[in-house]
Amino acid sequence: MSEPPARTVVDALEPWPDTVTWRPLSSRLIIVHLIGVATWTVVLLGGLLAGRIIGGQTAWLWGMAAVLALGLWRAGVAVRAVRAWGYAERDNDLLVRHGLVVRHLSIVPYARMQYVDVTAGPLERAFGLATVQLHTAAAASDARVPGLPPDEAARLRDRLTALGEDRAEGL
Amino acid sequence: MSDTGHPAPSGRPAPEIEPRRRLHPLSPLLKGAKSIVVIVAALSWQTLGQVGPTDFALIVLALAVGVVIFSAVGWWNTGYHVVARELRITEGLVWRRNRAIPLDRLQAVELRRPLLAQLSGLAELRLEVVGGNKAEAPLAYLTVRDAATLRERLLALSGRAAPVDTATTDEPAGGAPLYRVRNHDLLISQLLTPQAIFLPFGVAWVSAQFLLEGSWTFIGIASTMTAMAGVLLQPIRRVLRDWDFQLAREGGDRLVLHYGLTETRSQVVPPNRVQAVRLTWPFLWRAKRWMSLRMDIAGLSGPDPGDDKSSDRLMPVGDLPTARALVAAALPGVDLATLATSPPPPWARLLHPFGLRFLGAGLAADVFVSRSGRITRETTLIPYARMQSVRVVQGPVQRRLGLATVYADTAGGHAGAARDRPLAEAYAIADQLALRARRARCGPLAPVDVAGPVTDGSEAPVDETFWQPPEQP
Repeated sequence: MSEPPARTVVDALEPWPDTVTWRPLSSRLIIVHLIGVATWTVVLLGGLLAGRIIGGQTAWLWGMAAVLALGLWRAGVAVRAVRAWGYAERDNDLLVRHGLVVRHLSIVPYARMQYVDVTAGPLERAFGLATVQLHTAAAASDARVPGLPPDEAARLRDRLTALGEDRAEGL
Repeated sequence: MSDTGHPAPSGRPAPEIEPRRRLHPLSPLLKGAKSIVVIVAALSWQTLGQVGPTDFALIVLALAVGVVIFSAVGWWNTGYHVVARELRITEGLVWRRNRAIPLDRLQAVELRRPLLAQLSGLAELRLEVVGGNKAEAPLAYLTVRDAATLRERLLALSGRAAPVDTATTDEPAGGAPLYRVRNHDLLISQLLTPQAIFLPFGVAWVSAQFLLEGSWTFIGIASTMTAMAGVLLQPIRRVLRDWDFQLAREGGDRLVLHYGLTETRSQVVPPNRVQAVRLTWPFLWRAKRWMSLRMDIAGLSGPDPGDDKSSDRLMPVGDLPTARALVAAALPGVDLATLATSPPPPWARLLHPFGLRFLGAGLAADVFVSRSGRITRETTLIPYARMQSVRVVQGPVQRRLGLATVYADTAGGHAGAARDRPLAEAYAIADQLALRARRARCGPLAPVDVAGPVTDGSEAPVDETFWQPPEQP
């Protein structure tokens, strides 16, 4: 009784996850990430500037240029990474996709939920954002949805817990 | 400060609030003995050489007395009792710790008897609960009878369905034996490990060094012997641990395992607790056509593969017919010989220049099958009903090639992986896994459309049967 998977049946141009309506993250998360990148860049630039003032070689300027370029590139990546992140609530499971270089798609059934974490760091809180994470008994399960407005985070949390209770199975 | 009454377990517990009970009075001595071994090992040969045997003995004695006193204080403050469907354990003098272990989360119960405990007729009871990295509640030590009674009670309380009445099962105590390892095979199988095979070369090399230098010191030789023992430790430990390995099925679908030489362990796994079964076929065992089976139980086996402490063997060594029977016992309805997998597409050869055809994945009726490994071949079976989540991961190189890997996560820590499938197929597999997991969870009451994007096998692609006989590798 084995049913080996077929080669290609679904349309490759419209693979199955894209037929799901994905919800994007709040665009304010982009700002949070950009602030992170900017802070990092400014600290490094400050260090290099100090080096330039004390040492005086031109190599420090090249370093600053490199750091600036890296910062800009990272800003671009941050924007695209947030855009690439998405989640979808289906009838029986939560889908989360993320990642630019390594792309991830997680399918976590509500029935497998052990607990839901809602966290918000200081910077996230300042922008009115929160992170919802769904935990299962498997450590590898990876269903984290950052950058949700608090009311959306609360709604998602309540929905997940409600669905988890309905379909409680655990292990 | 302890309000516990009875030092020794006695009588039948009251149905309402039963009194807290203490562990056996000999436990501090036994626990102390364990620590002393650790202390002696920590002091090492070096110290013995420096301080001389008399002082060494004195140091060990002083430490031993301290350890035993410490354990005795711990014992006085440790108590356990069953309240409703919870086992409550109180321990600690300075930092009091109260733990309530919900019994419906119980994954397995193990009765361990280390050498000293065997001599004194005691046993340690370990409960495995989900979410704990280590055994949540080692109750060390109880008398064997108490431990067995408590285990029966906990198992009965843990039952999701009606508790199994072991008194009325038709099998004799110990249940119907399914499998028993042949100790002869076990010894040979552990001699056929890289450690054992390379040991003679190591010994020869070290002896050659001694002979060339001509300096024979006691410490030098002792250290060498210790190092050799360290290398051989894993095979030797496996032999000692898996000695007389027996597996039986008891009342209903419980699996009862019994094994060990110096430390005997007997473990009861309630039904539906096996998260995954892994079949390993090491290179050196191929001539013998042997393989080993392991099972993942939540909370018992961590993600660390080299962890010898985890007791997760289903079959230490055996041949294919035995493996088939045991897989059928652990995962009812699964026949090892009929599990087919299909390899990744030929263009995935760029990622796996060797042994592409030993990779594979397949969706069987009840389990997700994945195979890997050129030298040590491994097959992982994950029942849909136990799957926790599904992931599709695509790295940068895979994206270039239009491939993706599908992971099926389990609570046991080992994920089944369909590596490097074409993207569309990967999504189809993921969809199927989610669908079948849901169907398996809901039972036959909620039929779901399984047709999906995956064909029903009528036009099976380049399909390779799961089992390749050793003659034609």
